Amino acid sequence: MYRLPIGNYVESGVDWLTNNLSPFFGGIKAAIEAIINGFEFIYIGIPFVIMLLLVGILAYITAGKKTAIFSIVGSLIIYSIDLWKLTMKTFALVTTATVIALIIGIPLGIWMSRSNRLNKIMRPILDFMQTMPAFVYLIPAVYFFDLGPVPGAVATIIFAMPPIVRLTSLGIRQVPADVIEASRSFGSTPSQMLFKVQIPLAMPTILAGLNQTIMLSLSMVVISAMIGSGGLGDIVLKGISQMKIGDGFEGGLAVVILAMILDRITQGIGKSKAAKSRKQ
Amino acid sequence: MKKILTLVLALVLTTGLITGCSTSGKTDEKKIKIGYVNWAEGIAMTNLAAAILEEKLGYEVEMVLADVAPVFTSLASGNTDVFLDTWLPVTHGEYLEKYGKDIVDLGISYENALIGLVVPSYVEADTIEELIEQKETFGGKIIGIDSGAGIMSATEKAIEAYGLDYELVNGSGPAMTAALKKAINNNEAIVVTGWTPHWMFSSWDLKVLKDSKGIYGEAENIHIYSRKGFEEDKTEAAKFFQKYTFTDEVLSDLMGAIEESGKDPLETAKEWMNNNESQVNSWLGK
Repeated sequence: MYRLPIGNYVESGVDWLTNNLSPFFGGIKAAIEAIINGFEFIYIGIPFVIMLLLVGILAYITAGKKTAIFSIVGSLIIYSIDLWKLTMKTFALVTTATVIALIIGIPLGIWMSRSNRLNKIMRPILDFMQTMPAFVYLIPAVYFFDLGPVPGAVATIIFAMPPIVRLTSLGIRQVPADVIEASRSFGSTPSQMLFKVQIPLAMPTILAGLNQTIMLSLSMVVISAMIGSGGLGDIVLKGISQMKIGDGFEGGLAVVILAMILDRITQGIGKSKAAKSRKQ
Repeated sequence: MKKILTLVLALVLTTGLITGCSTSGKTDEKKIKIGYVNWAEGIAMTNLAAAILEEKLGYEVEMVLADVAPVFTSLASGNTDVFLDTWLPVTHGEYLEKYGKDIVDLGISYENALIGLVVPSYVEADTIEELIEQKETFGGKIIGIDSGAGIMSATEKAIEAYGLDYELVNGSGPAMTAALKKAINNNEAIVVTGWTPHWMFSSWDLKVLKDSKGIYGEAENIHIYSRKGFEEDKTEAAKFFQKYTFTDEVLSDLMGAIEESGKDPLETAKEWMNNNESQVNSWLGK
């Protein structure tokens, strides 16, 4: 049986990229770094009390009183175990990864909903992104983007982007045919159709995708710490590699609280959108 | 109400972005980036080095925690300046083969680190040969660490050389120490791949099995490695690293101080630095 030298091809491919595209990667690195630093600057810069109020208000508007109370109590717990700053660092990384995943993912999802051919091409690629063990591309990521939050963000984007792409595409494909028919007979242009009919109706599904993307970003926290991303991942990593179960658990708890707050808030937005589109 | 809130949030975010952009991208002659892995001896050496570089030599030090392979990758690509925890010739020999031409050896910081098979002191075996007869007792398993580590390939060689009918279990450092802890708590026999300096020797009473065939090598040394060109553009720091060596006593003392304090290791390292002036001065060549 002939052995396919897949591994060798990949290695020489990575070497070629490193040697020839370093300015390009340098540019990407600078851009992502600026975004992460920006979010970090805001999240850490805003005093805890004000941040607490903002979180509470946001949770109340989107998801009601219970979530607001939970969010405030959860934030207080994080603050009391001295992990607030690190949580904000992790949150900055997650926000950056999510924003970039949305900027790339939503247009891609819209495009996929309109083209069966692209749909066929993209699906195995998305499967790859979601199932390839992250360690496989972590090391090349360090080559291109150095140690720090940037390769962590890139790895997170690769892993967390597929749901927003898939669910955007699905949501638009699921808009009922009679609605499309009706708007067409009222003479709407394709772009009006997209922005005034399809996207609003697909919004709950798209928001479910956003929710999944955020949750997957959070599951990359510890893996990103292995390439120097810092934040809560560091605490967990230090905890598990030195058997400091207590510290590791505290770090893990902060990740869980952050995840639950973000989950309830994004789900809340989705629910209220769904209710609205039913009312109309 | 909602619209106003969203607007406020958006405004805050954009101003943050603008300021964030303007604060990043400083390049400084006096900046040093040290990569470290979460190993006790490395944490001790790295934090003390950071304390000395900052307080005595006026550098600005950034410490980045990562896994060992990414640290070597970053060192080889010139993005990280120094890594103080390279174990040679066995443990990290494979990274040297891959990246050796892109990184520079600044010398040995600790001599006679041991790697080998470790058992709790209450088990009967004292040599690797004795494992053969006591296969029942040890359950025919050697608990290892990450499959890529040098100590794992050395252990595979040992299994072959001594004719051990044992299975080497892949896992990770934490999984190995967890298994050790559990066995010791239940007073059971266990054999693991281990090394010194490691905190497990200060936590439990352990012994290293005699390796009559010398498969694990005589002893390991810990080296300090830097990126290419570090000596040229950060001469003073490179000179310090070349003198930065530890005796067993000094390293145990520092590691113990960090382990016991429970505070931020950098704070503890600064205290240690102030309490051990003559030692610090000898590193600085005073």
